[in-house]
Formats: sequence, structure tokens, C-alpha cells
Amino acid sequence: MLNAQFKFSPWLELVLTTTSFVVVSAIVFNLTGCISLQTPATADVAVSTAEVNSAATVGGAEYAPAEMRSARAKLVQANAAMAAHDYQAASDYAAQAQADAKLAQTKVSSTKAQQAAAALQEDIQVLREELNRVNSNK
Amino acid sequence: MNKISMTPGALLILAMLTACSTAPKSTTMLERTRQQYQMAQNDPRIVKLAPLEMRQADDAMVLANNAAHNNQSNEEIDQFAYIASKKIDIANETARQKSAENRIANAGKERDEMRLEQRTQEVNREKAKTSDAVFLAQLADANTQQAQQKVDLLSAELADMKAKNTDRGLVITLGDLLFGTNDARLNPDGMHELQRLATVLQAHPQQTILIEGHTDSTGGVAYNLQLSERRANAVSSALQLMGVQKSRIATYGYGEQFPLVDNSTAENRQMNRRVEIILSDDAGHIIHRY
Repeated sequence: MLNAQFKFSPWLELVLTTTSFVVVSAIVFNLTGCISLQTPATADVAVSTAEVNSAATVGGAEYAPAEMRSARAKLVQANAAMAAHDYQAASDYAAQAQADAKLAQTKVSSTKAQQAAAALQEDIQVLREELNRVNSNK
Repeated sequence: MNKISMTPGALLILAMLTACSTAPKSTTMLERTRQQYQMAQNDPRIVKLAPLEMRQADDAMVLANNAAHNNQSNEEIDQFAYIASKKIDIANETARQKSAENRIANAGKERDEMRLEQRTQEVNREKAKTSDAVFLAQLADANTQQAQQKVDLLSAELADMKAKNTDRGLVITLGDLLFGTNDARLNPDGMHELQRLATVLQAHPQQTILIEGHTDSTGGVAYNLQLSERRANAVSSALQLMGVQKSRIATYGYGEQFPLVDNSTAENRQMNRRVEIILSDDAGHIIHRY
């Protein structure tokens, strides 16, 4: 019998069992730890990438170049951290990239609105001058 | 070993000191973000125009402050502070956007109002032009009617005097029979005729008259010229005696230059011997023969 062939002393058996339990549980814990961080980090990076792309689509490069540069740099760092299995850092960089991208998007719509307002204001100025001119020529 | 064991008290003090100094733990970025947050909170425009974004910034700020409070690592604090800082930026930018959008809404309204005003003015100007034109036309019409009425009145008044409406205006012809033969003086019939003219002239003070003397071809040219002048002057004098101002009267003797008919018969010659009185228009203008 196998049991008969490898018979350890009860003391040794206890030590071995305890050790293997610790090692196994440590490995399991580590793995679950990795998996529990890897999944959200992957999602974070994906979401941030989408945000950055969306900001670029609406004209981020033109209206918010600094924010766009920062967002892209953070994305690069997030992806590098993912490759290095540093999922916490990846999530952090992704969060920063997302914040930059959101700010870029806001700046785009804000700048566009301000430009439109200025154009309208100019329109009105021209109209007003025209009205005054016509009135004074009456 | 001995040295270390001798300084547990010092270690304790050092630990307490570091604990004290790090108790309100912070980073440069967190401090900057806190200032930024303070400014945003004090900006009524942001509070009013970007309340949702400001709440998100509030939450992010709480996370950053908690990280500091819980003595988390500088990297962790900065991570939260960075996010908070961007959220504040977003609130700020959103407020600017809303403000611009409000301006656009108002400006659009203002522009429409101005366009309306402009259009209204154009319409009013057109109306004014039209009514001006109508008014002028009416005025011209009224003037014409009035003028016509005056002429009609004059014509009627002078009708018994055989006034003729000619190209030169109303012309009254005083025939040879109203004068003495070869005489410049008017006979009583002539004076009577002139009195009626004087009455009409006094009723129409703006009219002036031109008195033209004419003769037939009998006798010398110089004599006839003189006779025509004398007869014209006689009429002028008579009218002045009857109250017509001298400034309203012009006289001219043409002699035999402008016969009405040829001088072949006695009857014709009598027709050619005459004084013509030409009435001016309302403005005092008279069309002369030459």
C-alpha cells in the first residue's frame, strides 16, 4: 500500500499539512487577488480608451490639446501597467485618463458655445450699427 | 544592540513627533486642489450653472480628503486629488458653457427683435413714402383745383368784359370805341369798363397786369407808336386812380406791329385799334410778346 510505504511520523505529517495548506491558500489568495484586480482594471482601461476616443471625435485635439495630450499619456501608462500586471496602477492611470478626457469633452462644448455666443454678439453688433445707420439717414 | 536598547524613550518621542507632523497629512497636489475647490465653491456662477458637476467634484474632494485623513500613501492621495482637480475643472468649464448658452439664447432673441425692428422700420419707411406721395399728389391736386377755381372765378368776373383765356393767360381787350378818336383818353364807357377791371384786380391782389397799346397802320409809325403808348398809359393812370397799385401795372406801346386782322377795311382797322390788358398768373408772371 502507498500509505504503508510512505508513512511519516504524526508530527511531520502535521507540519507538512499545515505548510501545504498555507502555501496553497497563499497561491489561491494571490490568484484571486490578481483576478479581482485584473478584471476591473481591464474594464477601466477600456472605458478610458473609449472616453479619450470620443473626446478626439468631437474635436478635442483642436479645442483642448493639453487635456488630450495628458489623457493619451495616461492611457499609455495604464496599458504599460496592465502589461506589467500592476493592475492597481493601471486602474489609477485609467481613472486619470478618463478625468482628462471628460474635461477635454467639456472644454470642446464650452469653447464651441463661447464661439457661437461671440459670433451672435457680433451679428447683433452689425445689426445694431445697421439700424442706427438707417435711422440716422432717415 | 546595547545602544538601541538604551534609547527606547527617544524612539518613542520620534514616533510621536512624526505622528504629530503627519497627522494632518497632505501633499502639494492635494493643497492645490483644496484651493481650487475653495475658489469654485466661492464662485456663484459655478454653483448656479453647474450644480451637478460641482456635486461630483464634492464627492471626489471628499475621497481625496479621506485618503489624507486615513494616512494613505502620497501616491494614493495624489490619485484622488488629481481626479478631484479635474472634476472641479469640469464644473468650471460647464459653468462657462452654460453661461455662453444663456448668452446665445438671449442674443438670438435680441437678434430676432432687432431684425423685427429693422423690418418694421422698413415697412414704416415704405408706408411713409407712400403716404407722402399720396399727400403730395393730393396737395398738387388741391392746388390745381384751387388754381382752376381761381381762374374760373376770374374768367367769370371778367366774362362781361369779354376776357379771353389765351396762351398768355386772361386777356381783356379794350376796343377803339372806348377811346376818343385819335385820342388817348378813355370815354365814359371805357372808364366804366376799367372800373370793373379795377374791382376784380382788388379782389385778386397777387395778379399783376401788362397793358399793351395797339394801333392800325393808318398814319406814321412813330405817331402810332406814341399813340399806343399814350393809350396804354391812360389805362394805367385810370386804374391807379381806381386804386390799383402802380407796382402791379406794366405798360407797353406796340404801335401797328401786332394787328389782329389786316388793315384793308375800316372795320378791320377799328379792330386793330385797341388796348389789351394781360393778367398775370397767381405768382405775378406775364408772358410777353417778344
